[in-house]
Amino acid sequence: MSESDRATTGAAGWLRGWGPAVSLASRNLRRNRVRTVLAVLGVCIGVLAVAALGIFGNVLALGADDAIGDIGTQVVISPNADAGVESLSNADVASIRRAVGEPAVVPLYSDSATVARQGDQTFATVYGVEEPALAYEAAEGRLPERHRQGAILGAGIAEDLDAGAGDTVEIAGSQVRVIAVLVESQTFSPVAPDDAVFLPESAFSADGYAQALVVSDSGAEARVAADAIREEVNAREERVDLFELAALVDEINEFFNLLSTFLLGLGAISLVVAGVSILNVMLMSTVERRQEIGVMRAVGVARRDVLRVLLAEAGLIGAAGAAAGTLLTVLLVAGLVVATPAVDAALVLDRTNAYYLLLALVFGVGVGIVSGAYPAWKAANERPVEALRS
Amino acid sequence: MSGDAGLDAEPADAAVDDDGSPVDDAQSDAAAVALRGVVKRYPSGGGEPVVALDDVDFAVRPGEFVAVVGPSGSGKSTLLNVLGLLDDPTAGRRLLDGTDVTSLSVAERTRARKESIGFVFQDFHLLPTLTAVENVAMPTAFDPGDASDRAAALLGRFELGDRLDHEPSELSGGQKQRVAIARALINEPAVLLADEPTGNLDTETGEAILREFERVKAEGVAVVAVTHDPLVEEYADRVVDLTDGVLTGGLPADGGPAPGTAPERDDDRRIDRGDR
Repeated sequence: MSESDRATTGAAGWLRGWGPAVSLASRNLRRNRVRTVLAVLGVCIGVLAVAALGIFGNVLALGADDAIGDIGTQVVISPNADAGVESLSNADVASIRRAVGEPAVVPLYSDSATVARQGDQTFATVYGVEEPALAYEAAEGRLPERHRQGAILGAGIAEDLDAGAGDTVEIAGSQVRVIAVLVESQTFSPVAPDDAVFLPESAFSADGYAQALVVSDSGAEARVAADAIREEVNAREERVDLFELAALVDEINEFFNLLSTFLLGLGAISLVVAGVSILNVMLMSTVERRQEIGVMRAVGVARRDVLRVLLAEAGLIGAAGAAAGTLLTVLLVAGLVVATPAVDAALVLDRTNAYYLLLALVFGVGVGIVSGAYPAWKAANERPVEALRS
Repeated sequence: MSGDAGLDAEPADAAVDDDGSPVDDAQSDAAAVALRGVVKRYPSGGGEPVVALDDVDFAVRPGEFVAVVGPSGSGKSTLLNVLGLLDDPTAGRRLLDGTDVTSLSVAERTRARKESIGFVFQDFHLLPTLTAVENVAMPTAFDPGDASDRAAALLGRFELGDRLDHEPSELSGGQKQRVAIARALINEPAVLLADEPTGNLDTETGEAILREFERVKAEGVAVVAVTHDPLVEEYADRVVDLTDGVLTGGLPADGGPAPGTAPERDDDRRIDRGDR
């Protein structure tokens, strides 16, 4: 066979050699079952640790993200009283809209009033809003596209007054029909809708808006919008104050990412320990089989093929351990979800968790091959004449 | 070995006898395996290097059975390792099937071993996880094509047709050695090298194995056996003696002393064999 022939058949030959290598390797592993099972168990535990801790960290991060909700997606704009701006004019709102582009801008009038119903009464913030549907969701009733009449109650105040859609409440002395109750808000922001009442803009006679909300789809969009407002609306003078939580949300996310990495690191330590145990098993087994390997080399088995057999052994240990560890992780997480009602199943079933399973699986096989590489290389390169001498 | 671009057939080169040894070139070329002026030295901790082979001339013709005898530590194993391309000579030349194979790369040596040399060991050295037929086919396990049929046919020839799927642990010593011989023959080698092939067998089984060697050599394979066993000498066409690295009678009849003139075999060798 000439050099060029060898090159062209190289790739096919390389693949073909793995069949007999894996076959020989699996028989060698069966020879010392206890040792093999222990090595597999080591990898299994390592993979379990990586996958389970990875998923726990991820579920924590997802849960936190869920709880933080949309505070990161809102920017609240107020007039800058220090600069003598008392309210936001129509021109201000228009320039804010121009600056932010895509996200909805919801300007609000603001006042406070006594709200009463059937003897219960409470003091509440009253907002005037034209397009409530852009910023809020109704738990009861329907939010109109243009708010022209009736009151929309925050979840907290509706509960205090025991009022629902269709009921009538007394706001600052006038009877107003409730058209909708808002979903309980998970945000904390200067505009807290839970203890507020929303009326049409026509109920207010102020000459400027007290606040404006910028409602975006994501934290990143909110940050871009806030930056745009700072650059364009506040270009010449600081006309508005901005309140945004996107930066805080980033910090929180960063913390959870750190926590995830830390947990993964803990898992990785056990995987490294598993790798050392494979290294040990492979070294022992190649020392024990020194003569056999020498005979294989003597009768004409190439170094490359001996290397393949030994790598296949380590790889099989890694793969078996990784598969078992992955399966065990799935069972463990499933058990946890069933046993702990506090864990939200939707978070556990999140697609990102599959990534941690896959990562652990790949790591398990990888650890096997990496730990097997040195003993395999050492055994394959021993001169057969030395190996046969015993 | 045929068609191997890495190894040139070299009658032209053989005419140049640079080391001045008295070897007849025509004779070496006809040999299945030959050593010319081979020296093998091993470094020994600090002192003088140990000379395991001292200017050895050796040739075996196809179909010839040569027994190499000599005291322990005389360099017999080294001779076999050098002949079998497991070890390289320090000086001199080595020919296999008329091709110079003195200095080959590790991969080339491995391939030459697979294609042209069969090994039979005292301890059989079968792989315990493989069945008889798989052990026989093992040298070709990583090659394209399935050698199982060839392996089964070889085992049939050695009357092991009913033991194809037995593992070595289920075979007797004689059966194991026959499996090992079949393994050595799987690639139709030019040379069969045997290291104490009867050393772990009783006399009767040993004799059966030697009869197998006679059949092998009848097919044109050169057989070289390193041995302490007088029985092997009886079956050999030629007995050469290796003492302290010096080989006597290394060349076929017209080149060296006749087999009968080899040093007397002592009775203590029989006792030695009885111990095993």
